[in-house]
Amino acid sequence: MEKQTVQITQSTSGDSRLRALIKTLSKQKMLMLMSLPFLLWVIIFKYIPLWGWTIAFQKFRLARDLFDQTWIGLENFRFLFSEPQFYLVLRNTLVMSGINLVLGFGTAIVLALLLNELRRMYFKRTVQTISYLPHFISWVVAANIVQTALAPEGIVNVMLMRMSLIEQPILWLGIGEYFWGILGVTEVWKNVGWNTIIYLAAITSIDPAQYEAAEMDGASRLQRMWHITLPGMKPVIVLLLIMNLGHILESGFEAQYLLGNGMNVEYSENLDIFVLKYGMQMNNFGLATAAGMFKTVVSFMFLIAANNLAKRMGESRLY
Amino acid sequence: MRKKQWLTSGLAVLTAATVLLAGCSNDSGGNTPQTGGTNGEVSTDPVTFTYFGFGNNKDVLASDTTIGKILQEQTGVDWQIEFVVGDASTKSGVMIAGGDYPDVISPVGELPKLLDAGAFIPLNDLIEEHGPNIKRVYGDYMDKITHEDGNIYILPYTANVNGYLSDPDAMSTFWIQRRVLKEFGYPEVKTLDQYFDLIEQYEAKYPTVDGRDTIGFLTFAGTAGEFFTITNQPMHLAGYPNDGNVLVDLDTHEANLYMGTDYEKQWLAALNKMNSKGLVDPETFTANKDQYLAKLTSGRVLGYVNYAWQIGDATNNLKAAGNDDLRYVSLPITFDENTTDAYIDPPSFVNNRGLGITVNAEDPVRIIKYWDNLLTDENQKLVMWGQEGETYSVNEEGRMVMSEEQLANRNDNEFKRQYGWMYFDYEWPRYGDNSVYEDGNAHRVFNQPEVAAVNYTEGDKVLLEAYGAETFSDFFADPIERPWYPAWSIEKEQGSPEQLFGQRSGDLQQKYYPRLVFAKEAEFETVWNEYIAEFNKLDSAGFEAFVTKRVKERVDGKW
Amino acid sequence: MARANTFRTSSLGDKIFDVCNVIFMILLVCVTLYPFLNMFALSFNDANDTIRGDIYIWPREWTLRNFEYVFSESNIFHATFISAARTIIGTAVSVFCTAMLAYTISRPEYALKKFVSITFIFTMYFSGGLIPNYLLIKELGMLNSFWVYIIPGIIGVFNMIVIRSFIEGLPEGIMESAKMDGAGDFVTFTRIVLPLTVPALATVSLFVAVFQWNSWFDVFLYNSSRQNLSTLQYELMKVLSTSNTTTSSADAFADAQSSAQMVTPTSVRATMTIVASVPIIMVYPFLQKYFVKGMVVGGVKG
Repeated sequence: MEKQTVQITQSTSGDSRLRALIKTLSKQKMLMLMSLPFLLWVIIFKYIPLWGWTIAFQKFRLARDLFDQTWIGLENFRFLFSEPQFYLVLRNTLVMSGINLVLGFGTAIVLALLLNELRRMYFKRTVQTISYLPHFISWVVAANIVQTALAPEGIVNVMLMRMSLIEQPILWLGIGEYFWGILGVTEVWKNVGWNTIIYLAAITSIDPAQYEAAEMDGASRLQRMWHITLPGMKPVIVLLLIMNLGHILESGFEAQYLLGNGMNVEYSENLDIFVLKYGMQMNNFGLATAAGMFKTVVSFMFLIAANNLAKRMGESRLY
Repeated sequence: MRKKQWLTSGLAVLTAATVLLAGCSNDSGGNTPQTGGTNGEVSTDPVTFTYFGFGNNKDVLASDTTIGKILQEQTGVDWQIEFVVGDASTKSGVMIAGGDYPDVISPVGELPKLLDAGAFIPLNDLIEEHGPNIKRVYGDYMDKITHEDGNIYILPYTANVNGYLSDPDAMSTFWIQRRVLKEFGYPEVKTLDQYFDLIEQYEAKYPTVDGRDTIGFLTFAGTAGEFFTITNQPMHLAGYPNDGNVLVDLDTHEANLYMGTDYEKQWLAALNKMNSKGLVDPETFTANKDQYLAKLTSGRVLGYVNYAWQIGDATNNLKAAGNDDLRYVSLPITFDENTTDAYIDPPSFVNNRGLGITVNAEDPVRIIKYWDNLLTDENQKLVMWGQEGETYSVNEEGRMVMSEEQLANRNDNEFKRQYGWMYFDYEWPRYGDNSVYEDGNAHRVFNQPEVAAVNYTEGDKVLLEAYGAETFSDFFADPIERPWYPAWSIEKEQGSPEQLFGQRSGDLQQKYYPRLVFAKEAEFETVWNEYIAEFNKLDSAGFEAFVTKRVKERVDGKW
Repeated sequence: MARANTFRTSSLGDKIFDVCNVIFMILLVCVTLYPFLNMFALSFNDANDTIRGDIYIWPREWTLRNFEYVFSESNIFHATFISAARTIIGTAVSVFCTAMLAYTISRPEYALKKFVSITFIFTMYFSGGLIPNYLLIKELGMLNSFWVYIIPGIIGVFNMIVIRSFIEGLPEGIMESAKMDGAGDFVTFTRIVLPLTVPALATVSLFVAVFQWNSWFDVFLYNSSRQNLSTLQYELMKVLSTSNTTTSSADAFADAQSSAQMVTPTSVRATMTIVASVPIIMVYPFLQKYFVKGMVVGGVKG
């Protein structure tokens, strides 16, 4: 509401608008003092290094200054977009991060709701602490565990065979079509506990009086979860969703690299691995930078769209 | 506004930094270092230089090791030795960008980048003035160590002196479990067909080991970084040494890819046939290194293919377990009975690995003198053998020998670190591994037949005797001189069509090999044709022309 | 939670729900505890024996050799101290600054609210690249200094958004009344907002602390030649890369086939995981109580 008063005072002429802004700001010295040093910080540490984007237009060589570089225009972008492999890895990236987004959000929210319903405090705390342990193991270790479990003689095949669900062991990582599913489950296993933390924090801000009122009305457990806990978590959920939609081209790197192999490469190779192979491993920083710029553009598109959608739906938004 | 100012000042600063850096490298180009002057005047005041290696090792202060201490006493020079942690390419990138070089660098794979950035000073004049021993050791290789601009930037590690002595324990890539040979009375196994046939016969006789299924054959192809293990084999089977992805004709020096040839087809068809008999491990293309090593040490595997250095942990484990029947031996396998195998590396000179002095070194003369001092017979014995009476002894015939205990120390990583072998026996200016001392002893400890013999177990001796061999190298044909060898060390320019070809062809193989091996026998031909159709889209002729040109240049003495 | 105990009447459906929920949680615990048990077993198992595989949750040949090897890195205790210092200082500074910034952009009347928000939010989605960042740090004279661990990470944008969302969830009346009492923005922030957003701050602290504790790349880039600024994770990375020396590089293969290996990368990695993660995992149970405390505050205001 306050914001509107600021806007109302704005007149049509730019000059007086500026004067109005200065006038408002002069009343907000403390807020400025509390935020502008950080603005300076972000410009220095995040915006200045953006000069590095010029590398995308060069055949970049280290230790040459900007004017000694060979400028090649859009060649790196042309290579990227004309490479048939690029579209395959783009598909894989989008699908995998889509799966991660849906599964990651869904499982973390459900787990937070279920944890919140546990009656015994110590049990709840123990489960919570243990569930986030896999977050602390490196992907190398995690991938090793997954590979061992999915081996022909690994636990997954043994159990499925005991239950007579399959007759022959399945070479899970050797069948490309299964890769996305395996990756999705692996990501959930590794990160669900960790992802829950933020929702549990959100639940603490829900007013307990609401639960008491609901109990009075005879609401069931599920009804309370659905009508009180979940709406209480909603602002955080929406914000995370918007932010993560901006990361739609970041489907992770290590997991795909470690679990990928010749047999599933058509499903496992994503944009980051492609850039590693054709950019970094060939010392082609230009290509890597061009790919980074492409990712940023896509990120912004998704971010802005998601934010506008949230705005239109009257949900909390990013900015 | 502020943002823009920051941007411009940032750019200005950057420009200044890079100009400064370029200036530095220009300055030091060619002119003789200020310190030192003539030979005698170089001081032996204590000084510590910095050494950075792009290999993996533990950081150390040289004088904390026995060898480093002895060398310090001789020269007054100590080294703070550091190695890369994490990604080498990233490290070299920031090193170059910041111009933060140590005094000397062993760049391993980062050489092209560092050279391009002008990180190294030319050594020509320094060697001329202060390096009599360097001249003695590298004299024959001058054309190979001199770069296109006429300068020498690094001193490689493979300059053999006083003749050429090959490893008595050379190995091939085709390994078979010893009990298989024993079972069939130590038959002669020369061809791929014989090799696979033997595995098949044994498997039929003993389908299980300790209640678990025997694994007929497997190879290390489950991780992208090791995929060359399976793709390199047609080259070896055709009787060629490891030239990377090409076969170089001995007479015409034409380099031809073997990808997409009948050699490759024959190899894959053989694997396909083995697979249809159930003898290829289904995890061949999915197992990671731990899983692969676990299989090799389980005793269930009858035959496998890889280079020995890929699986040192597994072979040590098997040797320590003490059951020689479950250990493996490598054989001189080729496609054809009449093909001479080329598993023993020909005399070679790797000119893109070496040690160089950077533009940041304040006293290159001291460094070059240290190196020169390192290159005496005495000090070369020190860095390879240690001290007489302590780590080795000399018998009455004047041969250098090691007792079992001394050999155990020479093999023990912890001891090697303390003593300094871990730091001084390779990445310094040195005699090549196949060198011989003036007195006829081998430079490399394990090239000395007397030492190799101490290393043999009872089972080794039985096996060698059965084949009438003295050493494992006797299994293989003598190497043939190949003046370009190895072709894999030919540098490909960044982002060049050749580099791109290498990546694309590798991707294609990674995708099609599993299909070809696991295809039903009847479908093999179809999948192969599909593979060839994809392969034909790549510019293989251009790649071959490039390698051929470089090979011919090398043959003509222009490395 | 404590609240749940107050429900006296529980229907049959509720009971079934509880039983299912507990069973589900036990399964979850089994699956998520396994990797740690596995690392534990591997770290106490003889490295040479580990090569044979099939180690799951209990060591086959007990040894302390792996730990001895990891701790033989003489610098490791000092590095642990640096890790702890950067974790504590870095977390305190970052959480305070991030919360302060979050407060300013949560104020609806702040004229620069949107500008500041967008300027920060966008930075989540781009990077100038490794080399420009390195040169920046170099030009700022922050190479080989402790502050390179703290200053470049002073604001976490994601964390800023999280805290902002919690502040916005507070009843506006609280801040209004503070203003009424003549409190300025800074006082409102420290006296009112900080205490009321403890659960969010605890969450964010956890995120920052874990990030700080696990960091090694900044050590690698900026401080790798300064032993006394090395961190635990970086020292462990060194140990790991040393254990690779003779096993995987063709360049160093001269004597590899005959060298006795007492450790392997697999064993070292398992030991590292235990050494590096146990201290930071301990942090969480302590932070957990703030999640409850937050609720109590919420209850009071209600």
